[in-house]
Amino acid sequence: MAISEADVRRVALLARLEVTDEEARSLAEHFGKILEHFHRLQELELSEVDPFSLEGPGTPWRSDEAKPWGGRDEILSEAPRREGDFFVVPRIVEEE
Amino acid sequence: MELWKLPAWKIAEEVRRGNLSASQVVESHIRRMESLEPSLNAMITPMPEEARRRALAVDEALSKGTDLPLAGVPVAVKDLLCTEGIRTTCGSRVLGEWKSPYTASAVRYLEENGAIVIGKTNMDEFAMGSSTEQSAFGATSNPWDLSRVPGGSSGGSAAAVAAGYAPIALGSDTGGSIRQPAALCGVYGLKPTYGLVSRWGLIAYASSLDQVGPFSRDLVDLALVLEVISAYDPLDSTCVPGSRPRYRDALKAHDLKGQRIGFLKGYQDFDMDDEVKEKLAFALRICQEGGAEMMEVSLPVSTGYGLPCYYIVAPAEASSNLARYDGVQYGLSEEGKSILELYLKTRGKGFGNEVKRRILVGTYVLSSGYYDAYYLVAQKVRRLIADEFARAFSAVDALIMPASPTVAFKKGEKLDDPIQMYMSDLFTLPVNLAGLPAVSMNVGYSKAGLPVGVQVVAPKWGEMEILKVASVLTDAVGSPKVAMGGEG
Amino acid sequence: MPLSFTPVIGLEIHVQLATVSKLFCSCSTDYIGQKPNTNVCPVCLGLPGTLPVLNGRAVEFATKTALALNCRVRNRTRFHRKNYFYPDLPKAYQISQYDLPLAVGGYVELTEADGSKRRIGIQRLHLEEDTGKLVHIASDGRLSGALYSLVDYNRAGIPLMEIVSAPDITSPAQAKEYVARLRQLVRYLGVSDGDMESGSLRVDANISVKVSDGRWGKKSEIKNMNSLRAIERALEYEIERQSSMLARGEEVEQETRHWDDAAGVTRSSRSKEEAHDYRYFPEPDLLPLVLEEGFLEEIAESMPELPWEVFKRFEEVYGIEPEDAALLSERRDVAAYFEACVKAGASPDKAANWIKTELFRVMNECKCSADDFPVRPEALTELLRKVEQGDLSATAAKDVFGLMAGQGLRLDEAIKAAGVSVGKVSGGALKDIIDEVLRENAEVIEDIKSGRDKKGKKVKFLQGLVMRRTKGQADPQEVSELLDESLNN
Ligand SMILES: [Zn+2]
Repeated sequence: MAISEADVRRVALLARLEVTDEEARSLAEHFGKILEHFHRLQELELSEVDPFSLEGPGTPWRSDEAKPWGGRDEILSEAPRREGDFFVVPRIVEEE
Repeated sequence: MELWKLPAWKIAEEVRRGNLSASQVVESHIRRMESLEPSLNAMITPMPEEARRRALAVDEALSKGTDLPLAGVPVAVKDLLCTEGIRTTCGSRVLGEWKSPYTASAVRYLEENGAIVIGKTNMDEFAMGSSTEQSAFGATSNPWDLSRVPGGSSGGSAAAVAAGYAPIALGSDTGGSIRQPAALCGVYGLKPTYGLVSRWGLIAYASSLDQVGPFSRDLVDLALVLEVISAYDPLDSTCVPGSRPRYRDALKAHDLKGQRIGFLKGYQDFDMDDEVKEKLAFALRICQEGGAEMMEVSLPVSTGYGLPCYYIVAPAEASSNLARYDGVQYGLSEEGKSILELYLKTRGKGFGNEVKRRILVGTYVLSSGYYDAYYLVAQKVRRLIADEFARAFSAVDALIMPASPTVAFKKGEKLDDPIQMYMSDLFTLPVNLAGLPAVSMNVGYSKAGLPVGVQVVAPKWGEMEILKVASVLTDAVGSPKVAMGGEG
Repeated sequence: MPLSFTPVIGLEIHVQLATVSKLFCSCSTDYIGQKPNTNVCPVCLGLPGTLPVLNGRAVEFATKTALALNCRVRNRTRFHRKNYFYPDLPKAYQISQYDLPLAVGGYVELTEADGSKRRIGIQRLHLEEDTGKLVHIASDGRLSGALYSLVDYNRAGIPLMEIVSAPDITSPAQAKEYVARLRQLVRYLGVSDGDMESGSLRVDANISVKVSDGRWGKKSEIKNMNSLRAIERALEYEIERQSSMLARGEEVEQETRHWDDAAGVTRSSRSKEEAHDYRYFPEPDLLPLVLEEGFLEEIAESMPELPWEVFKRFEEVYGIEPEDAALLSERRDVAAYFEACVKAGASPDKAANWIKTELFRVMNECKCSADDFPVRPEALTELLRKVEQGDLSATAAKDVFGLMAGQGLRLDEAIKAAGVSVGKVSGGALKDIIDEVLRENAEVIEDIKSGRDKKGKKVKFLQGLVMRRTKGQADPQEVSELLDESLNN
């Protein structure tokens, strides 16, 4: 199955990955090959298969207690850009 | 006798008796590491100073009467397990010098029992790879042949144990990342049942497949480490509550009477090295001589479709797990005039080729219009694989399969052909898809002197069973040798 | 034939649950007014290697709400990841529910202005985590022309309950009523403070307009409506906007629009670079959400009487007028206060009157709840009894009530402190006051004496003045007698 460089760019944007022209070409080739492999899965009879079982134990529940976590300064000190107690990002134009 | 040749249980015994100090033990391993590291590059961050400090603390604690079952045991830790105060890189540029303010539970459990972390080991970036060549910190060499790869993605941990940096190491296994390098480096590597070992502090590749597991050169060590790291952890919702058995008890078995051991029907016809086939046959013979009833098992879906299934499920989860590396809170951050530009550049520069490939594939198979054709289908196949194993295990107690279709391959050999590289995990990844436990171990060496391994697989929670089989195999083949002049 | 336009409205409501800790970590949810990035930990910041653990109380709260909304609650559901990049979303995915929400298929019953009932369907109710907050500020502190944005994750991970209505709403008034009922419900249940201004309860509306000629415009999603009034105004504006476009034969575009409350208009949001593709898939870090045997029964047993049930009972059992019943049942604390008064022996009418005037007035001033209001229902009942028995005038009672509420005095202490009791001013003292009033109102006396006060209104006026001057401490009977005496002299 052929995948165009445009397809690669569309997915790369969705994944927020900058790709060079050369990368887009080689990725398109890789994509084509791997999707071929994926298509083999269609040979299997799958109509009766329930993929996501809800059986088994449920996810554990925590009791609702607030426990402050002491290490915020360590975390803030890792920030690439910081102003006071805030992390900083380029200006977001959209509302909300 | 050099201390770095000792198994962990022996070190702990001597240190607890006061015959050795933790500092002596650590010093010996650090020297070993420092002398071989220029040729192996098994470590991303060696931690000699931290280890020395820890050793003093362990000696001090012992002198006060604290009981530490792993007292003074050096351990190498794959660099995707978080260690408070020491950078964790995942073999990537994207995390920069990021230091986690917490320690992975598995590592913490080892430390609480007296083990001493001597460094963070090299790995394929974000555990995506089978050769430890795809690391931002350079490739690791196989200690048995420096021109060859150690396997991956936990290649640094496997090489470190094989070469005697430490008697034990931790790795992670998502599709074979412990078992394949263990086979290629000639050591033990165990992938626990999904949910046995806490994933807290394990930086996720594919959350539904990842498990932390041990490497060792000694089977007692493997069981001992598993006992320690498998403690229930409420911080991981997928970690199964309850007590764990004393895994060392499984090693009392010296025969397999009454055991039914399965092997893949027609395994000779699979595409793998002849020497791997020979050693596999050898291992099967040992089991048979040990009294096991040998049975052919066929796993057509797992062996025929496991690979594409895995390369949909794992990248899909990875695309989501790795989305957080965006340059806002920590790690690499490129300049951007807009947030979009910041994201694109940071992630474009921060990730290597294989990681980008898998993020893109994962994004694609989850995206609108493709989810049903790829992700959903793969999840259904995953279910079939789990069911297929479950059926097989109604007839046999354990399965013996190749751990890798080949012995250690040359560096660069598969780097340009991702799909060839993916084939390395053909026999290991179905085990992750089904959530089963498996141990990979050395059963001999090729004519060229390269280790050859097999893996023993059991139903869920069958760790005792695989250790029993491994124990009988070890009786016959002996414990793994230390690489690079360690035999003498 | 002129065209007619029918709006079709569905509402998505996000309610912050009043748990003390976040949905997947133990950070406090008390974030209003906190220093930025204080209520944070490795989990809600999505640091590498961290994992979520579900807060059971959030499940209880959501389940309780779902049952109250007549939903079908499922015993086994799961969480999904909703993937998108935005700086307020630390993991770049939100843990939410998707194909299997906790609850489906409920309804809210509204009472229309004409008293008729109308059911608004609830399509789904699910749990998810809140995002952080972005602050847009320029380096010189101005909000406009900001050079960069600031990120605060204090809110990230607070449990949200999303309630999605069916597109059953046909007017802005109905939409407002629906939100008011839901807000009332979550407050009754104690699962949220329901405050719209602070964002505890956030409403997005999907609205389209159907034309009588068969055309049906595309829907707009309206955001940023921060009060009940804003919802009503925004929808009115939007209906007008879409209808007039359709009337002109134009196409209504599908888009997201923001309500600008000051300008009274909705504005199109800048379109993003790409369409959303959230790539939902089951959250592998959590097992299925399983409600254990007996859990639903426990929740049902702990269910308080619902506001609409209280309303009905007040009307039927106590014979209260619908408007008063609505006022009294609006808040659970007030309803309980009212009932306690009645139980203590107050007449429902009198108690209702007092509560909706005096109690509400003081509660508004002190911003307190009826639960911890200083004048307990028993004391108020006693006060009302004194008024009824003629021991206190209505005016004096208000002063007494004020002292009880303001200074926390007991009833007898307050009466003493106010210096009020019926009959305290009488005889000579009262006569003096009457003379004083008469001196000041000579022309009124003229009118009365010359027979121009046919209906006795002016006499009543004088009586009123006297009573006021005695601060209600005179016996009205005595005032009337003494006044007659003086006028007839
Ligand atoms: Zn938190």
